[in-house]
Amino acid sequence: MKLNRRNFLKTIGIGSLLVGLVGQLYTWIRSLFPNVSYESVRRVKLDEPDKIPDGVTFIDDIKAYIFREGKTFYAISAVCTHLGCTVKYVGLSKPKIVKIGGKEVEVKWEFHCPCHGSKFYGDGTNYAGPAPRPLDWVKVEISPEDGKLVLDLNKTVPQNYKLTV
Amino acid sequence: MAELEVKQKRLNGRGLFWTWSPRSEKEAGESIVRNLLLHWFPAKVTLKSLSWGYSLWLGTITAALFLILGITGVILMFLYVPSVERAYQSIKDIEYVVSFGWFIRAMHRNAAHLMVASAFLHMVRVFLTGAYKNGIGVGQNRPLNWIVGVVLLLITLLLSFTGYLLPWDQLAFWAITVGTNIAKSAPLVGEWIRFILLGGHEIEQNALIRFYVLHCFFLPSAVLILFSYHMWRIRKDGGLACVDNLVLSQKKEKVKDGIKSKTYSLLGLTTGRTVQVEATLLDEEKYTVNSVPFLIRRIGLVMLGTFIFVALISLFINAPLEEPANPNVTPNPAKAPWYFLWLQELVAITTIRIGGFVLNGAFIGGILIPGVLVLLLAIWPYFDKSSNLNTGVWFGKERIRQNIVFLVLCFFVILLIIIGTYMRGPNWEFYFPWEPWPEIPKKF
Ligand code: HEM
Ligand code: FES
Repeated sequence: MKLNRRNFLKTIGIGSLLVGLVGQLYTWIRSLFPNVSYESVRRVKLDEPDKIPDGVTFIDDIKAYIFREGKTFYAISAVCTHLGCTVKYVGLSKPKIVKIGGKEVEVKWEFHCPCHGSKFYGDGTNYAGPAPRPLDWVKVEISPEDGKLVLDLNKTVPQNYKLTV
Repeated sequence: MAELEVKQKRLNGRGLFWTWSPRSEKEAGESIVRNLLLHWFPAKVTLKSLSWGYSLWLGTITAALFLILGITGVILMFLYVPSVERAYQSIKDIEYVVSFGWFIRAMHRNAAHLMVASAFLHMVRVFLTGAYKNGIGVGQNRPLNWIVGVVLLLITLLLSFTGYLLPWDQLAFWAITVGTNIAKSAPLVGEWIRFILLGGHEIEQNALIRFYVLHCFFLPSAVLILFSYHMWRIRKDGGLACVDNLVLSQKKEKVKDGIKSKTYSLLGLTTGRTVQVEATLLDEEKYTVNSVPFLIRRIGLVMLGTFIFVALISLFINAPLEEPANPNVTPNPAKAPWYFLWLQELVAITTIRIGGFVLNGAFIGGILIPGVLVLLLAIWPYFDKSSNLNTGVWFGKERIRQNIVFLVLCFFVILLIIIGTYMRGPNWEFYFPWEPWPEIPKKF
């Protein structure tokens, strides 16, 4: 194509039309990606450690179970690793001995998922159903300001992460 | 003289309505071209296309259901508030406070379920009659219309799915949780798709308003546009596929005397032998009738029938409303809408473990299997090598094997849906319908 005046203007015209269109398109799509999240918290502050009841408590705000065994605290997420339903804590009437990772462990409770029937041992290890991996453990820490217990979903911790105070 | 006739038409009150009840052949032809509502139909239609037995009228039923959904949907829009704080309460008001609210809501819900079913059955009909195949006309592209159909079916499913969230009750919340987490397990883009769909990581206000806009504006518009194209293609393809079959069988008789060749189409002079010219091979007197009134009357009947049916069942089958959505308590069992239960069933049984390597069932059952199925479905017409004698006939002789495979696949999907609906109890364990479910503690 010879670049005479007509073709030059035509190219510029169509070109700017395209650029304009793509620019508009970008603004439309980009606007749908939120910059600020008003979602519910991913970090909650509980009470002082000795006010937490012994045994198990469900923490609504971040969907996790917190356990207290004397001076030791730990928390396991209740979000099923299959498709995200909230798993239920099921206390066993008599403890059973199972093998987890080669070691014999006594389990007193389990987690059951109502959606597709995944089952997890007390430490979150999956043993039945479609769940592909164990339940996440949740970071438990002491707030430096007031000494209260804090659960934080933003930090990942390995299985069996426990806090002793 | 002409003026006088026009005046007479007005005088006897037929000015506006004459196109709906023509008195002569000429009026019958004109009534199609002159009427905005009718102009997309052909002037004449074959008896075979009109018959109940060929198409089963499932496409028209689907369109009628969509119309019902549009009307009841707009009314619901006046009454529903798409906000997390008020959504549940406004549905509750529609159900228990607004006059006839329960009825309009039930009609909307029932029509939605039926539309998924009828679009699916329509597809089954098209497959079994080989109606995605071209016949003999120039410029036919029925495989393309089949693909448009597959997209329409997918959009119909999405419409239903997005609508499911709006009541913001337990049923809604958990069905959408499971559904959107399936999207998450797609490789690479999964997280991203879920994030943009929900406008965040959780099902909260952003998700609600997004689903609302998709449900009330975006997806219905897409259906309207594609439906128009669907209908336009049928005209361009020379009508329903059974017409080709008719022409082919006639051609065998007529070929001895040589084929008549005209170059007039309905829209004027054209080059080549168009679909419409082929159609003139038909013995018009014997096989066709005027669209007005015959086609119009039948469409009217089907629409009326659909309307009455939906209205009647809505008196008895009401739309459900459970407790308000509670992210912390998953109902047990938690089920997706019935048309996705075959996926949920797959998702529950397809987690694969090879040594230490685990593939999440959500990916295999929720994405891989349905993805492959839909892709195969869409491109199947291009693999179907049977001759055009199998176009537009039920159970064509050369298509027996593919019809059987197709039916077996449909059967499996339906079987999984039935198992998911009636035989899955708490913790997704299997129970026969007559077996009682065990008591499960409400508190953890
Ligand atoms: C929103 C959903 C849909 C609507 C409203 C719709 C509507 C229609 C209507 C009114 C017809 C005329 C014949 C009849 O009534 O059976 C038709 C024909 C047809 N439809 Fe659909 N349809 C839909 C979805 C589909 C699907 C899911 C498929 C296939 C995947 C499909 C493929 C076709 C084809 C190939 C024809 C031509 C049939 C023939 O020539 O015999 N459509 N559709
Ligand atoms: S979401 Fe828990 S088993 Fe599927």
